Amino acid sequence: MTTRFSRREFLRSTAAAGVGLTLRFTIPGGVDEAGAATSFEPNAALTITPDGAVTVHITKAEMGQGVGTALAQIVAEELEADWKDIRIDYPINDPKYGLMLTGGSWSVNWTFDALSRAGAAGRIMLVDAAARYWKVSPDDCTAERGVVRHLPTGRSIAYGDIVAKVPITKTLSEDDLKKIRLKEPSEYRVVGKWIPRLDIPEKTNGRARFGIDTFLPGMVYAKVAYPPTREAGKHTAVDDSAAKKVKGYVATVVTPGLVAVVATTYENAVKARDALRITWDQGPNANVSSESIFAAFAKKAAEDTSALAWLEQGDVKAAMAQAPKRHEATFTTDYVAHMQMEPMNCVVRFADGAYDIYTGSQFQTFAAGTLAATLGVDPSKIRIHQQYLGGGFGRRLEPDIMVETALIAREVKRPVKLIRSREEDLRRDFYRSATLQMLRAGLDGDGKVIAWENTVVASHPGQRWGPDFVDKRGLDQFALNGADHVYDIPNQLVRAIPVATGIPVGYVRAVAPNYTFFAVETFVDELARLAGVDPVEYRLSMLRSAPRLARVLKLAAEKAAWGTPLPPNVGRGVACVSAQEKKSPTWTASVVEAQVDPATGRVRIRKVTCAVDCGIVVNPDGARAQIEGSVLFGVSNALKEYGTVANGALVQSNFHDYQVLRMDEVPDVEVHVVDSREYPTGLGEPGTTTIAPALSNAIFAATGARVRSVPLLPARVLKALQEKA
Amino acid sequence: MAQLLINDRTYTVDADPSTPLLWVIRERLQLTGTKFGCGIAQCGACTIHLDGAAARSCQTTVAQAAGKKITTIEGLHPKGEHPLQKAWIAEQVPQCGYCQSGQIMQAAALLAKNPNPTDEEIVAGMTGNICRCATYVRIKRAIKRAARGV
Repeated sequence: MTTRFSRREFLRSTAAAGVGLTLRFTIPGGVDEAGAATSFEPNAALTITPDGAVTVHITKAEMGQGVGTALAQIVAEELEADWKDIRIDYPINDPKYGLMLTGGSWSVNWTFDALSRAGAAGRIMLVDAAARYWKVSPDDCTAERGVVRHLPTGRSIAYGDIVAKVPITKTLSEDDLKKIRLKEPSEYRVVGKWIPRLDIPEKTNGRARFGIDTFLPGMVYAKVAYPPTREAGKHTAVDDSAAKKVKGYVATVVTPGLVAVVATTYENAVKARDALRITWDQGPNANVSSESIFAAFAKKAAEDTSALAWLEQGDVKAAMAQAPKRHEATFTTDYVAHMQMEPMNCVVRFADGAYDIYTGSQFQTFAAGTLAATLGVDPSKIRIHQQYLGGGFGRRLEPDIMVETALIAREVKRPVKLIRSREEDLRRDFYRSATLQMLRAGLDGDGKVIAWENTVVASHPGQRWGPDFVDKRGLDQFALNGADHVYDIPNQLVRAIPVATGIPVGYVRAVAPNYTFFAVETFVDELARLAGVDPVEYRLSMLRSAPRLARVLKLAAEKAAWGTPLPPNVGRGVACVSAQEKKSPTWTASVVEAQVDPATGRVRIRKVTCAVDCGIVVNPDGARAQIEGSVLFGVSNALKEYGTVANGALVQSNFHDYQVLRMDEVPDVEVHVVDSREYPTGLGEPGTTTIAPALSNAIFAATGARVRSVPLLPARVLKALQEKA
Repeated sequence: MAQLLINDRTYTVDADPSTPLLWVIRERLQLTGTKFGCGIAQCGACTIHLDGAAARSCQTTVAQAAGKKITTIEGLHPKGEHPLQKAWIAEQVPQCGYCQSGQIMQAAALLAKNPNPTDEEIVAGMTGNICRCATYVRIKRAIKRAARGV
C-alpha cells in the first residue's frame, strides 16, 4: 500500500478490492432453495438475511468516533433500508475489504461515495428481483424503508421476503455503479439525522467487549521483560531459575528480540517476569535525553544544506531581501504519548498453522502483512478478530503487541493473553515527535506577508514503517501536513529535516497539524501584531482563496464575542486550520478565552468556541461529540502533556506524572457546525490542532507575553512574562 | 481460598490474599465491565462499590474485599437501567467507552450520598476519573439529568 492516497485513488483501489463495487451473487442449488438457506450479499459492505436484518460490515475500527453508526447510515440511506433493521459487525480482515485502516479523520471521507453506491446497488438489485417476481417493469417499482412497492397495483414485498423467496440475479458492472444517481442532500432520510449511536447502550452496562475482555479455553498469561532503553536494547543473558519457582509458571520464551514468561494467571505472570534475571545490552541510545535531542534539532536546523524543500513557490529569497519588515521566531513542542485508556493487549491462538488474533486494530492490513512476514506464514493465516478499541488515537495503528503475543503463542502452543501495564504501555509507546520549527516572514509596507519560510525539524514515523510510507527523499507527509497552510502568500518555502533520535515516533491524534499549526497560527498572530492589524482581520485578508475557512473564522469570532471587553489577565486567542490535510480539509476555527495568573503563570481556559465546516454531516450528534472530544484533547495537549527523555527512554511512567485533562480543568465548549452540502470530510482530529495556538495567542492577548513552546506550562508562561517585563 | 460477595452472589476463588481485586473480578470471574487502566488508583477505570462506597479495585486486595458487599457495573442495576445508565444513553456520553463503567460507578456512589450535587460537587466527585476521549461535558450533563430524575 501507499500512504499517498487521494480520494480518487482510494476509490480506485477499493474498486479493485471489491468494496462496494464488485457485484456478484450466486444461488447455491437453484431457485427453489435460494430462500431459507441463504442470504443476500450484494457486495462486501452488507448482508441481508431472510428475517429482514441488514448487517453492514464495518471495516473501520470503532474507537469512540461512532464510525459504525455513521457508515451504516450511509449504506442505509441509499439502500432505502428501515433503520430498525440495521445491524453492524466488524469482520475479520480480508483482502476483499480493501485497505483496512482507521485514522487521519478519513473514515467517512474515504467511504461516503463507495458505501452510498454499495447501498444503492443493493436497492437496485432488490427492486429488479421484486419486479421479476411480479413480472412487472422495475421502472414502476420503488423502494422505501425496506419494502419494494409496485406503484400501479400497490403490491409490496419486504427486503427479507425478497431474499427468502426470489432469486436475485441482476449484476451491475463497475460502469453501472458509477452511473447510479445518488440522492441529493435534500432527499436524505437517514444521513444527517439525529440517530442514537448503536454502540452506546452496551458501553453503559459493562457488556461492550474490548480486546482485553477476550478469553479463550486453556488461555495462559504472558508478561514481557522490556529492555531499559526504548529502542535497540537487547538481552545478552537470561536466568529464569527463580521465575520457574513462581506458582503457576508455564514457560520462558526467549527469542532474539524478546524475553517473556508465561504463567496461568496475570498476577503470577507478573511475579515470574519480575523474578527473571536479565543482562541487557542497552544499545547505542543509553545517553539519549531531551537535551541531546533538542540540541540535535537546533544543530540540524542551522545546517541549511541538509534541509529538503517540501513546499516551494515563488522566490522567497528575493522577496525576503526586499521586505521592509522581517520577523522570525522558533517554536518547540515536546513528546506526547497516546495514553489511550485501555493499555495495549492481545490474545493469540496458534493452531493448525494459523493465528487467530483478538485485539482492537486501527490498521489490520498493515498488521496482517507484518505478522505474516515476521511469522513466516501466508497472510491468509493471520485472522484478526476485531474488538472494540479502548481508545485508539493512533496507538493501535501499530502491530507491536500482536507480534509479541503471536511469537509467544507460537512457542507455548496454548492461547496466550498479553496485557501491558500502564507503565509498559507508556514506556513502549510510539510518541508524537518532539519538534523544532523556525519561521521567518517578510512583510511589505502595509504589513502584508510577501515571504514565508518554515523549517520543520521532527522525527518522521513513516521512516520506521518502511518505504511505502515515505517519499523518495525519506519524507513522511504525515510529519509535515499543516506546514502547507492555505494563506495567500506569494513566496513560500517549507523545508523538512527528518531526524532519528533513538526515540521512536508514531501517529498521535491530529498528528503533524498539532505542531505545524501551533507554529503557523502563533506566528501569524505575531505578524498581525507586528502589522498592527486585528488577528481575525489579518487572517481574513489572506484567506481569499479559502472562503470556507474565512466563513468559519468569522463565525467563531462572532460567537465568541471577539473584540468585546474582558477582565484583566483574561484574553482571547484565535486559530484557524485546514486540518487534517490540505486536499481534504475540515475547515476549523477556534477562539480560546483564557485567564492567566501572573504570579504563578498558571493558565485556565474558560471557554472554547469552535466553528467547523466538514461538508455533509452524517450524524449530527456524533459530529458534535467528536468536535467536543477533539477540542478537549487539544486542551489536554496544550496545557498538560509532555514526555521527557532520559537515558534513552521516557521518564514518565503513569497518569500521576504524565498528566492528562481531568474534569476540573474542562472549559465550556461551544460548537458551531456550518450547514453544508459539500462532500464530507472528517472530524476526529481537526479541532485538536486549533487549541495550542489559540491558547498561546490568548495568553499574549491577556498579558503581552508570547509562549512558543507546547505544552504551555506555568513555568514557561512565567518565563515569558518575566522576559516581557 | 477467598470468599467474595459480588453482585449478591458468593464466589470462591483460589487467589493470594494480596492479589488486587481487579484481577480476580476481571480475569478470573470474567466480570469484564470493570476495566484496568493504570493499576495505581490514578484513572478510576476500575471503580467498583465496596459496601456502597466507590473504591478502586486495582488498589483493593482480595483480603480487604472479603466480607464486604462488592458491586460492579454488572450489578449496579439488574437490567442496566439505573438512572445514570439511562442518562448516559440519553446524553450519548460514551465514545470509546472503556472508562465509562468506572465513571458510572463513581457517579452512582456520588449520587447515593448526594442526590442533588452542584456543578462543583460533581467536579470534585469525578476528577479522579480520567476519560481520554474527554467526554467530560456529557458526563456532567448526564449526572445532572439523572439527579433530576429524567
